[in-house]
Amino acid sequence: MFRPTMIYALLVMSSPASGQSAMTAARFARAVLARGHTISRVFFLDAGTANGSAMAVLPRDEIERLVPWVELAERDGVELVLCISSALKYGMLDETEAKRYDKPAGTTHPAFTISGLGQLVDAAASADRLVTFGG
Amino acid sequence: MTGLERKRLLLIIRHSPYGSSLARASLDVALAAAAFDQAISLLFAGDGVLQLLPGQDSGPLGVKNLGRLLASLPLYDIDQVYVDAETARRYQLDLAAAPLPARALEREALGELIAAHEHLLGF
Amino acid sequence: MTLHTLSASPTTAAFADCLRLIAPGDALLLLGDGVYAALPGTGPRRALGACGAALYVLHDDAAAAGVLARIDGETVVDMDGFVELSERYSRQLAWY
Repeated sequence: MFRPTMIYALLVMSSPASGQSAMTAARFARAVLARGHTISRVFFLDAGTANGSAMAVLPRDEIERLVPWVELAERDGVELVLCISSALKYGMLDETEAKRYDKPAGTTHPAFTISGLGQLVDAAASADRLVTFGG
Repeated sequence: MTGLERKRLLLIIRHSPYGSSLARASLDVALAAAAFDQAISLLFAGDGVLQLLPGQDSGPLGVKNLGRLLASLPLYDIDQVYVDAETARRYQLDLAAAPLPARALEREALGELIAAHEHLLGF
Repeated sequence: MTLHTLSASPTTAAFADCLRLIAPGDALLLLGDGVYAALPGTGPRRALGACGAALYVLHDDAAAAGVLARIDGETVVDMDGFVELSERYSRQLAWY
C-alpha cells in the first residue's frame, strides 16, 4: 500500500530514570523509521537532556536506556540534540562545555550534540509531524 | 535560517510559574520561535493561567521573575496569547492586571484555536 | 484533527486538562500511567467514553499495568500502530 513518507521531529521532555516515556520515545523513533519515514531530529529539552548521559549505571537485568538512542544515531543517522541551557542545568556537558565551565569531565555520550533551541524550532518548522514525549 | 518554512506553532502551557521547570522551558521555546520568525501562539490552560497572576516577586527565591519575562514577550512580537476563560474565572484572575495581554477564550473557541495551528507543544 | 497522548493517571491535572481540550473527531492514546483511565466501570473510563474521541491504548504499557486483560472498547495498538495514528492525525499533543 502506498504511504507518503513524512518527516518527523521528536521532542523528549522526560528523564530516562523517571517512568517509561523516554524509552517509548526511542521505540517510537525506531517504528517511525521502520515505516519508511525520516526523522529530522530528536530534540531533548529540560529533564529529557538526561538521556544524553554516558554515566548512568543500570542494574544488569534492566533494559539499556542509552543503547537505543546510540543505535538510532550511529546506525540510522538520526540527529540527537540536547538543549544547551537545560543540559547545563542537568550536568549534561560534552568535553567542550566541561572545559569551558571548568568541570572535571564531560558527561554526555558522543552520539548526542549540544545546541540551542533554534534546532528545535528548525526541526519543527520543516517537519510534517512533531511528536512530544513527556512525563 | 533564511527561507525557513513556517508552521504555526501553538504552545499549550499548563504549569504554574515556579513549581516546575516546564514554565520556563515553554517561554524559552516561545522566544526561540519568535527569534527565528516563526508564527507562535500561547494558550494558558489549567494551572498555567496562574502565570498571569500580577505582582509576582521571585526575588526572595533567587529565581528569574517569570511575570516580568512574560511582560517582555510583546517586544519580540509574541502577541497571539490566549487563556482558558473558564479556568481564569475559577482562579478569579483579573486579566486586565496580567503581565501581558491575553485573550480569554471559551471552550468552543479553544478547539478552533487548536485547529488553526499545524503543530502543538504541551508544557 | 489531533492525536492526544495521555501518560498521566486519571487523578492528575493532565487528565482533566486533556478532557477539557479534546474534541469529537480527535484520537486519544493512553500510554504510561494514562492506561489506568481504561479501567472499566470507573468515572474516568466513562468520561473517556463521553468525550467523542477515538480511544486507543498502548499495548506494552497496558500489559505492564495489568490493565490489558480488562480493556473494554478501546483499540489496543503496538508501536507500529502508534506511528500509524501519528500519520493519520496531523497534530499531536502530549499530556503529562
